[in-house]
Amino acid sequence: MILQLIKRNLKIFFRDKASVFFSLLGVFIIIGLYVIFLGKMMINYTDQMVGINSRFLMTSWIMAGVISVTTITTCNGAFGIMVEDTALNRMNDFKVSPIKRWQLVLSYVLSAMIVGFLMSLLTLILSEVYIYIDGGTLLSFIAFIKVLALIVLSVFSSSSLIFLIMAFIKSQNAFGTASSIIGTLAGFLMGIYIPVGNLPVGVQTVIKIFPLSHSGALIRQTMMSEAVSLENLPEEFKLFLGLNFEVNGEILSNWIHIAYLLVSGVVFYLLAIIVVSRKRSK
Amino acid sequence: MEKIINVTNLQKSYGNVKAVNGIDFYVEKGSLFAFLGPNGAGKTTTINILSTLLSKDVGDVNIDGINLGESEDAIRNLIGIVFQEGVLDPLLSIKENLETRGSFYKMSKEVLKERIKLALEVTGIANISSRKYGTLSGGQKRRADIARALLHSPKILFLDEPTTGLDPQTRKNVWNTIIHLQKEENMTIFLTTHYMEEADKADYVVVIDNGEIAAKGTPSYLKDNYSNDLLEIKPINEEKLINYLTLNNLDYRKQSDVYSIKLNNTIESINIINNNKDNIASFQVLNGTLDDAFINITGKEIRE
Repeated sequence: MILQLIKRNLKIFFRDKASVFFSLLGVFIIIGLYVIFLGKMMINYTDQMVGINSRFLMTSWIMAGVISVTTITTCNGAFGIMVEDTALNRMNDFKVSPIKRWQLVLSYVLSAMIVGFLMSLLTLILSEVYIYIDGGTLLSFIAFIKVLALIVLSVFSSSSLIFLIMAFIKSQNAFGTASSIIGTLAGFLMGIYIPVGNLPVGVQTVIKIFPLSHSGALIRQTMMSEAVSLENLPEEFKLFLGLNFEVNGEILSNWIHIAYLLVSGVVFYLLAIIVVSRKRSK
Repeated sequence: MEKIINVTNLQKSYGNVKAVNGIDFYVEKGSLFAFLGPNGAGKTTTINILSTLLSKDVGDVNIDGINLGESEDAIRNLIGIVFQEGVLDPLLSIKENLETRGSFYKMSKEVLKERIKLALEVTGIANISSRKYGTLSGGQKRRADIARALLHSPKILFLDEPTTGLDPQTRKNVWNTIIHLQKEENMTIFLTTHYMEEADKADYVVVIDNGEIAAKGTPSYLKDNYSNDLLEIKPINEEKLINYLTLNNLDYRKQSDVYSIKLNNTIESINIINNNKDNIASFQVLNGTLDDAFINITGKEIRE
């Protein structure tokens, strides 16, 4: 019955063309901004720092960011079904059926993860096509698998955060507002509109706390090393673009990034479950 | 006679508002039971408690031998509910909707397929089962809602204002489906309504107002006890009739040139007509209606 519910949620999400489009709106905005003005500026900067392959490098940088943002905005879009079910009282039909609450909630979470993964995969493929047309090369097989694994990790982290936010949202209006805030904020909080290095120290700290910045960093590393060997890049350049994060003068290792994503994901899920089960006890 | 639903001293408050204030009633197995009352009387609250959607504050509810609050899932397997507002997914076809909702009840794939086919046939929507729920007309939606409620062959079917907002022809079709379920499938039907002509067709009616039971009984019992039969006479000479009526102590009301005389029973009218034979231009004898009974019970017209 969970499988049937997931099937239902996926059908509803993908049949609603508007919700699919709006869940990708943040992505379109980023690509638009990059193509129109950010790109030129960034490539000029990179040219001075690296010299070779700077166009390929920066396109990979922006696409890595786009993929990270996709994981969060599409998970958010998929959770819209849960909000709609509650707001329009469709939930009542589930409540009077012999299914358990946890089965229902699990179906929303798993659907959001599947939507997040599929849409991010689609974004990855489109990114690769763009990079290829733009004169870059496609990801090697190993790198592709790595990016896929990072997308899974990223989706886990995104869905936990969105689930926690959605647990408080009861009306469709609130959902619409939350979605636009999340869509815009995500781009800033991952240092995509503006590179981390250009932001004040306080904001940089917020970015380092925001779990998805860490999956963004990992995806960037993987995709950008296709253009240039990362070891040859100056450390300040990598910190400026958010490939690495520095805490207390130490560069965080990739294992710390992964651990942080996993732990924060588990914590958010636990919090969300507490909120959701509290809401039921009336 | 077997009581399939038994409710004693049921109470439910929202903050300071007592939505249901200590009601007692029972429903006979296989009957068509109507809950009649104005909006805000507590009908939906009661139906929501019986269907495990809301928890009760006080009271005992027994549904087919199971106490409410003991095993909710057992009750959920016994009952089907048609909500006031559609609860199916507009972007899915009727069939897809039924497949999803049917999976909540532990049935094998083959049994579910058979049940879906049956539910579609009973409600007469088999030919449109691949159309999206969102594109259906009001009546078709309501039938799809009923089909969904029938998937697990429930013993009791709850319908919350099943015909509200439908045109008269569609209302009749939906009503025929409901009657069919009661008569042919021996289902117990529990419905709320504010249409008198529907309550009139029920086996038993409970009138609820302000969270309390104002009256209960069969439609004919309610009419006999809470409404009057009327004799309406259009006289040739008004003064002569008035004289007769005052002389015989008969209660009457004048509406334009017609005099309505309250009767204890229709037989009384024969005497009056005989005595005024030469003074009658036209007359009619009217049975009391459930409408009158309702107004007399609650002191107000039914609110749409």
